Amino acid sequence: MKNAVAVIAACAALSAACNRAPSQGAGGKPTVALVLKTLNHPFFVDMRRGAQEAADRLGVTLQVQAAEREIDVEKQMQIVENLIQTGIQALAITPSGSREIVSALVKARGARVPIIVVDTRLDSKAAADAGVRGETFVGSDNYEGGRLAGEFMVKATGGKAHVGILEGIPGHETGDSRLRGFRDAVKGSPGITIAASQPANWERDQGFNVFQNMLQAHPDIDSVFACSDLMALGALEAISAAHRTGTIKVVGFDALDDAKKAIAAGAMEASVAQFPAEMGRAAIESAVRVIHGEKLPEDIKVKLELVTRDNAK
Amino acid sequence: MNPARQFGTLIGLLVLCVILWILSPFFLTVSNLLNVAEQTSINAIVAVGMTFVILSGGIDLSVGSIVALAGVVLGLALRGDQPLALALFVALVAGAICGLANGMLVSLGGLPPFIVTLGTMSIARGAALLVTEGRPISGFAASFRLFATGRVGFVPAPVIATALVYLIAHLALTRTTFGRYVYAIGGNEEATRLSGVAIPFHKTMIYVVSGLTAAIAAVILTARLNSAQPIAGMMYELDAIAATVIGGTSLMGGEGTLAGTLVGALIMGVLRNGLNLLGVSSFLQQIVIGAVIVVAVLLDTMLKRKHAV
Repeated sequence: MKNAVAVIAACAALSAACNRAPSQGAGGKPTVALVLKTLNHPFFVDMRRGAQEAADRLGVTLQVQAAEREIDVEKQMQIVENLIQTGIQALAITPSGSREIVSALVKARGARVPIIVVDTRLDSKAAADAGVRGETFVGSDNYEGGRLAGEFMVKATGGKAHVGILEGIPGHETGDSRLRGFRDAVKGSPGITIAASQPANWERDQGFNVFQNMLQAHPDIDSVFACSDLMALGALEAISAAHRTGTIKVVGFDALDDAKKAIAAGAMEASVAQFPAEMGRAAIESAVRVIHGEKLPEDIKVKLELVTRDNAK
Repeated sequence: MNPARQFGTLIGLLVLCVILWILSPFFLTVSNLLNVAEQTSINAIVAVGMTFVILSGGIDLSVGSIVALAGVVLGLALRGDQPLALALFVALVAGAICGLANGMLVSLGGLPPFIVTLGTMSIARGAALLVTEGRPISGFAASFRLFATGRVGFVPAPVIATALVYLIAHLALTRTTFGRYVYAIGGNEEATRLSGVAIPFHKTMIYVVSGLTAAIAAVILTARLNSAQPIAGMMYELDAIAATVIGGTSLMGGEGTLAGTLVGALIMGVLRNGLNLLGVSSFLQQIVIGAVIVVAVLLDTMLKRKHAV
């Protein structure tokens, strides 16, 4: 009987929790699900805030779920499968894996749940093979963001630099596009060489370690492009540990608050700002439009902006 | 193993189901129960090998990484246009080799299983990342995907696979000398040795079983995601350990059953599913699942103390 008691204890916690979060739209309100990669990253926390505001304004019930870890696409798939069971009217999702999540979306389509893809695109081949189509894609153009960063790097270094690059998780569309954009932008400047380019898996501590190792192997590195600010902030700490603050130009992506502070303080050069709250808002607005039977444009672009010393607050 | 305690785990699962049935109109439907069974299959299969290892008094931290490595080997073989049967075979061999290495280092090398499998966890993960250069392998034939999407009648293929694995493993554990030695080694290794049992061989085979079940889980996971990811299977070892101990297997070894482990895995699967259906915040979900694990083992320990008196 002991485990029975254990489970009852858990259920007490559970029933307390569900009073707070109803599983179905109260009073016939449609329910929209927003499945994020994770909720332990400020980017997605902002996205959730924007989505919640839009949901309140438009009178829909919003269900937000996320896996514990950003890379856990199997868990994200389970969440989608479970949410389909609750009869949601629309699904907005930031795919943890551009190809892998397609299998779950096949099931959503089977249940006639319209899909809004947010922030990270589906792999077009995998989606086409499975016959899955999002109603629309809401997000910033990561390739364009990478270009912005690259063009800034050329300008800031006068076209002469040894660049170290910190990549996201290999195979992630988001990071790959940023990287391609950056490389394409610096390609035209023969004075810019890419000394090293390695994944630090989106994480701050890995950004620190990987860049520290990079500096050991390539002491001539004088600038950094990190595909996300968390990795850029990790690199900043590695630079400070090597007593080289101010001699290495760091450009990041996401314009997190900590990064903006570093830019204002002069420790970091620039960061490409995305507007996740805006994405969340647009995602829920799109979902509501689809529920009302409207047809959406294929792409809903959310703006990008370069944050530098001039506009960092 | 006291049958009444086994019964308790099952009652726990049923109580959980009844509570979810009351709380959510979406829980007790055929499609949702099949959904839960399918989602539980991967953890349940990994937990089979984990149960063998824990019964023998060991621990296997490498199963998550073995899932990734076997999956990647499978993916490479499939992309290399090898026949399906051969691809499956090499994936299982990859899992078995990892288990063999674990087993030999534990039994012949005399190292603690915690250390050995911690090492293998890192080595197998690194190997999976190395051969794929960190990128997922995807785009498999529709015939392979049947391992996840196929159905026999209305039962999903992963559920059938889980049932088969449990049936075979249960017979091996209860009807063969190998099975008896698994319990004996965990109960009292020294006494088992003195009674003339070839401990190194049997211990090695226990870890091979664990590597094999991890590889079987990798087949289903790869088919499910239609992708072999070198970063797949992270923390699966902890889920498998949790299913095993919730199911009543003692971490000290010598005591436990596979039926208990299956119920343990189902409790975790049902709990995750129910918390999703109820729209519980994902942070709170982690707290609830953690609490269930701790409380289940706490009660197990208290009960044992009572029996000992």
